This record gives sequence, structure tokens and C-alpha cells, in this order.
Amino acid sequence: MANHSSATHVQHHFVDSEQQFDSAKMGMWIFLVTEVLFFGGLFAAYIIYRAWYPELFTLASEELNTLWGGVNTIVLIGSSLTVAMAIKSAQLNQIRNISINLGITIALACVFMVIKYFEYTHKFHLGIFPGEFYTYEGINHPKANIFFSLYYLMTGLHGIHVLVGIGLMIWLLIKASKGAFNSEYYTPVEITGLYWHLVDIIWIFLFPLFYLID
Amino acid sequence: MSGHHISTDKILLSVAGALFVLTILTVAVHYLALPHPWSIIVAMTVAVMKASLVALFFMNLYWDARFNSMLFIASILFLALLVGLSMLDTLFRIDPTPGF
Repeated sequence: MANHSSATHVQHHFVDSEQQFDSAKMGMWIFLVTEVLFFGGLFAAYIIYRAWYPELFTLASEELNTLWGGVNTIVLIGSSLTVAMAIKSAQLNQIRNISINLGITIALACVFMVIKYFEYTHKFHLGIFPGEFYTYEGINHPKANIFFSLYYLMTGLHGIHVLVGIGLMIWLLIKASKGAFNSEYYTPVEITGLYWHLVDIIWIFLFPLFYLID
Repeated sequence: MSGHHISTDKILLSVAGALFVLTILTVAVHYLALPHPWSIIVAMTVAVMKASLVALFFMNLYWDARFNSMLFIASILFLALLVGLSMLDTLFRIDPTPGF
């Protein structure tokens, strides 16, 4: 990287722009490690309960709509693609394309949340609530509420991550529209992209674990 | 080793295309209703393939410093430790059914 000293975004405690970028990225990866373990506790609970009650999971999963779960998978993969496109646009100095790709990503993330909203409200309507609030009679298993406690916890925590991602992406879009990002400096786009891809990876596992087991 | 790899449209679109195809494949296999251990094995294999594609080519681990890959793999190993040690308990209880 030439012109280290003239780059205004480099903070004084970094040697140059390159080192600042690599440090930010490594920091984000360490955060993603904590995220894997954060979700990991819930995945561990899922695995243990599924080993205890295998028949419950196949029965209860029939209440989940495979079509909408699949559509949401496609939507999230599409949004991962557009985030990667936004980073590529920044690297190639295509300033306008950064905002366009971020805008599409936000729209796809909102589509995901709207579908999730309809899935949740449909279940609430049937009396499918987590834990002791569960009142649905349609599943012939005394522990049916356990499946849905795990479902709401895992998809809910994932949904909160999608909402946080939407917030971050709106912040990026505002900064991008002011011309903050270019091929010399696009660190926030890069590390928000890493976060968004991890949220996508978690959904890639949630989808078969909840929707594809009946 | 620098983290400034610029992906071509061709790579990004091919990876997304592969992810779409694998998603359709895993749903199709689900409707085939394979016998017991195979349905979960196929579903998890496809999920691991999809996650690897995202990590390698969207998160750029394929071109990135190996240290970041090591961090990510370490998180998965520690998760395996958590699940493995927990199951050494829960799978081998005399009365496996808890009150919750």
C-alpha cells in the first residue's frame, strides 16, 4: 500500500492502512468465534433433546412449513451474495454499486423477517407458544412444547441477529451514500459482511434441523 | 496472505448458484423420505457443504490469512467438545428421561 501517511482513515496506533484492515478483520473473526459458541449452546441443547426424544422432533416438525423455510433460505443466500457484491464494488471503486447492493441486502433481510413474522403469528394463533405457555392439542406427544421452545429460542436468536444486521446495513448505506467507502477504505463493509455471512451459515443449519426432519 | 482479494462476478454468482442448487437438492431429498439414519446424514452433509462454500468464498477464507481459518475451525472444535462431553453424560444415564 502506497501513501500510508496520507490516508486519513489510518489511526495513529496502526503502522499502515493494511495492518489496520487486517487487525479489524481478525478482531471480527474472534467475535464470530464467540458467536459460534453463543449459538453453540443452543445447538448442543437441540442435539441432546433430539437424542432423548427422536420421535418428538419428527412429529412436531410437521407443524413447520418447509416451503417458507426453503424460501427464507434462498432469500438469505441471495442477501449474502449482494453483501459480497457490495464489498467487490467498494474494492473496484464502483461507489454507486456499494449503495445499490447494500439496499438490495436490506430489502432481502426485511423479506426474511416478514416471512418469519407470518410463521410466528400463525403458530401463536394455534396456541403454539414456548415452554409452559404451549396450549396446542394437535401434536400427540407430552413434551411437544420442548421442540417449540428450542424452535423459538434458536430462530428467535437468529432473527435478532438479522435485525441487528439490518441496522448495521442501514448505517453502512448512510455512510456509503456520503462517499465514505472506496477501494482504499471499506473495512466496515468487509467486517459487516463477515457477520452477515455467519448469520447465513447459522440459518443454513437451522433450516434442515427444524424444517426437514418429518 | 493479504485480505484484499477481489472476487470476480463469475465466482460470486457460481457460488450463489451452487448454494441455490444445494438448497433445492436438500428439500428434494427430504421429500424422498429416506430411511432413518440417512435423511439426517444427507441433510447435514449438504448443510456442511453449503456452510463451507459460504466460509471459503463469501467470507474469503480461501484467499485470506490462514490464521482466520484457524480461529473459525477452533470455534467448531470447541463446540464439538461441548456437545461431545455433554452427550457422554446425557446419553448414558440410567433414567434418561428428565422431568423437563
